[in-house]
Amino acid sequence: MSHKIVNGIKVELTQVEIAEIQANQAAWENSAFDRAIADVRQRRNALLAATDYLALSDNILSADMAAYRQSLRDITNNVETIEQVNALVFPVKP
Amino acid sequence: MALTKLNNKAVANVTSIPVALGDMVLVSSATASSSASIEFSLGNYKEYQFYFVNIHPSVNEASLGINFSTDGGSNYNVTKTTTFFQAYHFENGSATALQYSGSADLAQSTADQRIISGIDDDNDSSASGTLTLYNPSSATYVKHFISLCNTVYPEVPNLCVQQYCAGYGNTVSAINAVRFQMSSGNIDAGTILMYGIN
Repeated sequence: MSHKIVNGIKVELTQVEIAEIQANQAAWENSAFDRAIADVRQRRNALLAATDYLALSDNILSADMAAYRQSLRDITNNVETIEQVNALVFPVKP
Repeated sequence: MALTKLNNKAVANVTSIPVALGDMVLVSSATASSSASIEFSLGNYKEYQFYFVNIHPSVNEASLGINFSTDGGSNYNVTKTTTFFQAYHFENGSATALQYSGSADLAQSTADQRIISGIDDDNDSSASGTLTLYNPSSATYVKHFISLCNTVYPEVPNLCVQQYCAGYGNTVSAINAVRFQMSSGNIDAGTILMYGIN
């Protein structure tokens, strides 16, 4: 990382710019888990919402569907690292 | 019939082609080569259109971000509020979804806004798209922008992810420079074109 392109012209980075970029990138990498788990929760919430109608009071929820929805709710339990997030496998809808 | 005059000048005396209202003018372009960032100075066009062509990151899953400057590029720290949603489809057809991405939006933040979130760094992977910035030189209104991009997302198998970001720079100061850079590593390769429209 030694240069940037300004209006089509290659410009060498200053030490201050290099330090700023490195600080920004460190902050990005340090927040990787927060971003990943947020994406998991969003995907989980969408899958739960897609089956909410089956859990209405005038409908009998099958045991398989109940287990599926519980698995979705539990998917973030004890997940504390980016490696654990990447290893998550979503349950298959019955 | 042969052209003999242009803009009321004899063709032999024409020094430049006049730009009509609404024409797109290629203002600048830049091709990255392991570049930390790509920056453009802005003028007084009412609208700027950016084209991202085969943006390739040096770091797997890095995102391309944008930020704005009101001081000619000395600081890229305009406050922004944005939204971000995406649709995806795995290469093996195993899953599709349309979802809002709460981890990619901003609420009154000066941080870079991700416009392409997560680009695979395989040799044949890249991301492309467009971004429109409206009336950045306005001294009255906030500065709206909208982007639509497509990326190869790095999972196994890969996903096609279409990403839609929109927001505004919450400033009434003129935006006079824009910067694109990756969330991690360099812009390994790719071209950004900047067009101006009046």
